[in-house]
Amino acid sequence: MATTMNSLEVNELENRFIVIHPLDDVPEEKVDTDGLGPMPMTLSVRISLVSLRAYLVLMMLLVLYHALDLAGLFGHHA
Amino acid sequence: MNGKTLTTPAPRMETEIAPVRGRVVKSRWAFHLLTFLMVFGPGLIVMVADNDAGAVSTYIQAGAQYGTHLLWVVLLLLPVTYFIQEMVVRLGIATGKGHAAMIYQRFGKWWGLFSLADLELVNFLTLVTEFAAIDLACSNLGIDPRFGVPVAAAALITIAVTGSYRRWERITVALCLLDLVWLYLAWKLHPPLADMARGLVPGVPAGGLTGDLTFMVIAIVGTTVAPWQLFFQQSCIADKRLRYADIIWARLDTFLGACMTIAVAGCMLIAGNYSRIHGFTFEDPARMANNLMPLAGWFFRSALLLLMINAAVLGATAISLSSAWAYGEVRGWPHSLELPFRKAKGFYGIYALCVAIAAGAVLVPKAPLQLIILSVQVLAGVMLPSAIIFLQLLLNDKELLGAYANKPWNNVVNWTIIIVLFALSLILAAQVAAPNLFPAS
Repeated sequence: MATTMNSLEVNELENRFIVIHPLDDVPEEKVDTDGLGPMPMTLSVRISLVSLRAYLVLMMLLVLYHALDLAGLFGHHA
Repeated sequence: MNGKTLTTPAPRMETEIAPVRGRVVKSRWAFHLLTFLMVFGPGLIVMVADNDAGAVSTYIQAGAQYGTHLLWVVLLLLPVTYFIQEMVVRLGIATGKGHAAMIYQRFGKWWGLFSLADLELVNFLTLVTEFAAIDLACSNLGIDPRFGVPVAAAALITIAVTGSYRRWERITVALCLLDLVWLYLAWKLHPPLADMARGLVPGVPAGGLTGDLTFMVIAIVGTTVAPWQLFFQQSCIADKRLRYADIIWARLDTFLGACMTIAVAGCMLIAGNYSRIHGFTFEDPARMANNLMPLAGWFFRSALLLLMINAAVLGATAISLSSAWAYGEVRGWPHSLELPFRKAKGFYGIYALCVAIAAGAVLVPKAPLQLIILSVQVLAGVMLPSAIIFLQLLLNDKELLGAYANKPWNNVVNWTIIIVLFALSLILAAQVAAPNLFPAS
């Protein structure tokens, strides 16, 4: 991982410090995420994530039901 | 510091049209201070914007119902919120990309779209609550909401579409600093220091563990640590193009933001406690401000209502931007506040659309706002642990982050936070499914 330090050049010999705003600086080289591709995941991680998704979908339906119930859509509330 | 401006060609980029602009200073101390001030912003904004309209209501209600007894919960959330956002800082600086883009690239299209859909749904509902608060505060300030809400929406769109990240950041930081007025308001209320000290010690208020108390604790946690924060800060860091060398200052920015948001939350709790001491029943922050006017004065009432609007505006700009950045990242659209409108129409369009529809929704007569507020709190609480799990997996991705990946102690802290959040999420789920699970207060 390259770390370019040109953005905060320090010339201590001349006792001069140059401060550069990130938006004015040369774009820094970052991790090439496009070249990495998808993250390798073990079966247990995949199962955990799918379970998590199922839990979230279930909870969303539960919240939706609860909200509609509170709105009186099912006739329990006057 | 002599404040001299230096313009030099960028190293290895002599052919670039725009030169690197810097400021020359003569001491190391000034160098560090100026560097911090240039990096400062995303951490403060994400933390202070988290004290949005819903948070104002939640913290004040906590104080109005339980006095200063829940101060320890708020204080405990300081390290929680810092550690979570610190991971986002590392991820944003190392990749230079937003959170939605990272989930999309590292977990694939399916997970990327699910995360995006979750975020956009909760964000939109939260935005509606921000405008509902503006509507409420305007009504109490004697301003017609049919005028106040569209003006707020127009202002929110205007500050973002100027094509300058710095302009947006400066305006937003100024609004964040206005939140410091909460400290003055709390001080003017002569807070009971002995009670506050007792409130910092973990314990259950008189009345025991009731359903209401459980819900309140979960609401405090849900309002202090929200899923949009992960997406917002990472995209903000990417847009500001923070560098590896900035990481220490970005951490400090995040820590100071966390301290400020928790201090302000404590002040809101003190305001609620003041109302409780004087025997008022909490209904909403605006009504509480009106009730307290004869005791605390006109300035207190007006300041509280204006701070409610400020909180809602801050929340709205941060949440709408997190939606727009995330959508732009996943769709591959240009998505930067540095771009003029004509070059990022999709990004600004999503931002403006979120703001406009949410503002319009609160002006619809008989809109079910209370139901939306309840749904937001519950959904945010349920979705938070899963959002953090993606973050945790990304932060353990050594191929992606190398030296910036989590250390073992990071993982111990973060998994503890995730387990606690999951337990709270499950309690919330049980409470929604079976409201009689806990004894009533």
